[in-house]
Amino acid sequence: MIENVISLEKQAQEELQKVSNPQDLEAFRIQYLGKKGRLNDLMQHLKEIEPAQRKDFGQAINRVKTALEEAFRTKQAGLPQQGAVKKNFFDETLPGVIPQTGRKHPITQTIEEISDIFARLGFESVQGLEVETEFYNFTALNIPTDHASRDSFDTFYTQSGHLLRSQTSTAQIRVMETRKPPLKIISPGRVYRPDTVDASHSFMFHQLEGLMVDEETTFSDLKGILELFLHELFGAQTKLRFRPHFFPFTEPSVEVDISWGKRGWLEILGAGSVNPKVFEAVGYDAKKMRGFAFGLGIERIAMLRHGIDDIRYFYENDLRFLRQF
Amino acid sequence: MKISTLWLKDYVAFKPPLESVADRLTMAGLEVEKVTPLTSGEALFEVEVTSNRPDWLSHIGVAREIAAVENLKLKIPPIETQDTHLRPKEYGIQIKDPGACPYYSGILIEGVEMAETPLFIKERLEAVGLRPINLLVDITNFVLLETGQPLHVFDADMLQGKKIIVRRAKDKERFTAINGSELELTANDLVIADAKAPVALAGIMGGKESEVSERTRNVFLESAYFDSRTIRPSCQRHSIHSDSSYRFERKVDPSGVAFARQRALYLINKYAKPRYVSTVLQMGTLPKQAVKKIHLKSQDITRVLGAEIKSSQVASCLSRLGLEVSQKAEGVWDIQIPSFRPDLLAPVDLVEEVARIYGFDKIPSTLPSRTPIPTVHDPLQILERKTRALLPGFGLFETITFSLVESRGVREEDLAAQVELVNPQNKMMRWMRSGFLPSFLNVIKHNYDHGAVSVPVFEIAHLYASAGGRKKTQEENCLGIALSGATAHQSWMDKARDYSFYDLKGMLQAYLEAAGCREFRFEAKKVPQLNESNSHAVIAGEHEVGFFGQAADALTGEWGIEKSVYFAQLNLEKLVKCLDRKIKVETLPKFPATTRDLAVVVSEEVKAGEVKEAVLALNLDGGLIRSIEVFDIFRGGRIPDGQKNIAFRITYQSLEKTLVSDEVQKLHSEIGTRIAQKFQATFQS
Repeated sequence: MIENVISLEKQAQEELQKVSNPQDLEAFRIQYLGKKGRLNDLMQHLKEIEPAQRKDFGQAINRVKTALEEAFRTKQAGLPQQGAVKKNFFDETLPGVIPQTGRKHPITQTIEEISDIFARLGFESVQGLEVETEFYNFTALNIPTDHASRDSFDTFYTQSGHLLRSQTSTAQIRVMETRKPPLKIISPGRVYRPDTVDASHSFMFHQLEGLMVDEETTFSDLKGILELFLHELFGAQTKLRFRPHFFPFTEPSVEVDISWGKRGWLEILGAGSVNPKVFEAVGYDAKKMRGFAFGLGIERIAMLRHGIDDIRYFYENDLRFLRQF
Repeated sequence: MKISTLWLKDYVAFKPPLESVADRLTMAGLEVEKVTPLTSGEALFEVEVTSNRPDWLSHIGVAREIAAVENLKLKIPPIETQDTHLRPKEYGIQIKDPGACPYYSGILIEGVEMAETPLFIKERLEAVGLRPINLLVDITNFVLLETGQPLHVFDADMLQGKKIIVRRAKDKERFTAINGSELELTANDLVIADAKAPVALAGIMGGKESEVSERTRNVFLESAYFDSRTIRPSCQRHSIHSDSSYRFERKVDPSGVAFARQRALYLINKYAKPRYVSTVLQMGTLPKQAVKKIHLKSQDITRVLGAEIKSSQVASCLSRLGLEVSQKAEGVWDIQIPSFRPDLLAPVDLVEEVARIYGFDKIPSTLPSRTPIPTVHDPLQILERKTRALLPGFGLFETITFSLVESRGVREEDLAAQVELVNPQNKMMRWMRSGFLPSFLNVIKHNYDHGAVSVPVFEIAHLYASAGGRKKTQEENCLGIALSGATAHQSWMDKARDYSFYDLKGMLQAYLEAAGCREFRFEAKKVPQLNESNSHAVIAGEHEVGFFGQAADALTGEWGIEKSVYFAQLNLEKLVKCLDRKIKVETLPKFPATTRDLAVVVSEEVKAGEVKEAVLALNLDGGLIRSIEVFDIFRGGRIPDGQKNIAFRITYQSLEKTLVSDEVQKLHSEIGTRIAQKFQATFQS
């Protein structure tokens, strides 16, 4: 009977040699090594064998079984591994687990970007109050007492007799009152005007004010600084124009337009050389001091740069909007 | 304002193309916002007139600017300068309020022939969108738009008692304007009245009854100066605006009052052929011009502009604007200021005039080269930036909500401490907010309504409190945080769960530590907007800097928010004073740490913090406990009802030696035994 075992092994080894694909290999396994395979089949004959030879027979079968299993594994390793592929299969297309991250508000991002540009030019950021007196919002800025902007149609007043600042220029007055020149400051913040809310107006919005004062500052310095700033913000190719305008607190006053594709020239900021009357109001020597100031609307810049067509998006705080920044 | 190029050409002979003229005007400061070409080859300019230049509110004014910009001559139209010296017997003018009307003049004109309005007047009126009415009215409208001085004609036969009285209206006095509006006047309105009743709302609109019609034969021509401070409030009070009020509000040229009257009279004499023209009836005096002469030096120009402009160019720029320039020395001039330029008061005003006619674009751009100015260190701004950098990393979105809010969500008794507006734009939103919660509830509600499942937000803004009476508002920079809904995007790997109180607590802890707050603690404290059982103060150092907890159910309910809202509010100005930005590094321990778990089954009422404090209070360790943290809470299973299993992980470490297992085990067992005694705890194996 032992011969049967040896011939089975020989036959099996030869057959395994010919196996070239996983299907055949599996068929081989079933035929020889499976529960009802030929090796187990031979094992059934054990009890028929004389007791003296049983041990040898059993050992022979076990040896062959081990050898065939070994050969099977070797063969399996050499074949394209279907079974094993299944076990280690990796789906990289499943979504990554994204850490939940929020965003800074686009208004903040715009303010920080502008502040950083001016910080590189040596301008320091200062903060101001929003509830102010008429002196800081109007009088010190050379706005006449009968000027329309002082009307309750254009400025919010509180029961306590104060007002909500309608421009960030209030901050420059407060700084000039407490510090001596030279000064290079910017001041961003919220401002308020009783406008009816629509796609381009809001009763609360943001401005950024800038001021430089010493004994030499000229209008040509203002042009140089603003050109540098706008080219940093909108790109070096951006075309600019300086158009004369009127503000009570600057003289000469200018509005700066940028060329914006099909929309043509768009006003982007107001500026000018500080009116000597403003220096007088804060107690500076108006004959000696020279300076420039500028102010810009943050929402307007953010809307232009990001293609936002309705200012209300900024205050609605829809996360689908905020997530895009 | 609409300006017709056809009309402009009556006064200045400029060359096409019109677009270039419009461009040059814009670049000189008179912004032409729109050019509408007409089939005639002419165009309509829409110009934006800045408040300092009322002289541009007329065709002659704009023509003068074109003459300056293009270096052309300005042609002034003919006027009637002859006075008839005929004084009508009965007519009289009285000014009762010289403040509101410093000067009033008029001419009685009788026997006018209401002929067809000449074509050139009709064409020009129609060009700027005005409908011709009749000869006399058309002439006054024409002269208004030509000179900028409003005029009015009354039907003289309708003036009761042949009197012109400039007075304040009586309270509740009725007046019907030419446009049909019936007004109830107040004592603040200025009117022109006859012996009986108002015949015009002064400077704004004439009255229906004395309106000049086709059948009118005798008229009274008014040319006056009304104070802008009287006109503007009246217009606003009655929501009535006219070409006339628009100009009086912006102040008219005092010398234009006579000029316009004489111009109108010239046209009336020529086209209406009156039988009788009286002398000028007048009362009062015109306001005096504040500055008539300015001394200008070329250094003034260079110092302001940073550009050298040749003396000859300076003189040319100024004289082209209609100013009389006389050179006193090289680079020194005396400039006569005409009455139509009340905005020119100081040398710097003339510098601007020179600059804009010379061209802003020709002024060079320079970069200031100065000694750097040391900037002031502002810890509050640093904290703000840090906060805005940290919190988005915790998954929070920064919001910007209105500082003006409704009273919703604020207790009646707290409203008194809030700042209230006198003139809110929206009657509901008239409060300056004292807290972020109502604003956040709006944001959370909006986002849930638009499909969001998770709303984690923060905002940095001023919050306001009334200081009482006329005192200045208190205003401080604060941080608000609100969490609601799911903690993160649902991931296929992790189970989704909602934000809890502990997320907010943990965020605050991480935030305060990162911000540089070395010592802080949370203490139970009642805050009206929070649920009583979940309301805590944040104490940094020894100062209360804010509060947090779960938004009161009553509030979330009122806003229709079903999920819990966790809310924190910190005063950054107080917090920044408690920060220590100096970091001193602790030496890293040389010897390894070892951890042991302690799981105790205690009654539900026992707080984890109490157990932790108790362990530390035992003081058994001789400084070996590095940390003690809760890592699991388990209920149910073999844990009896009303009890819970709290699992602590205790880290032991010595700075002097490697701890031996037996030593740690002995200490740990002792802690376990004592804690079990103290809290009647059992151990869960």
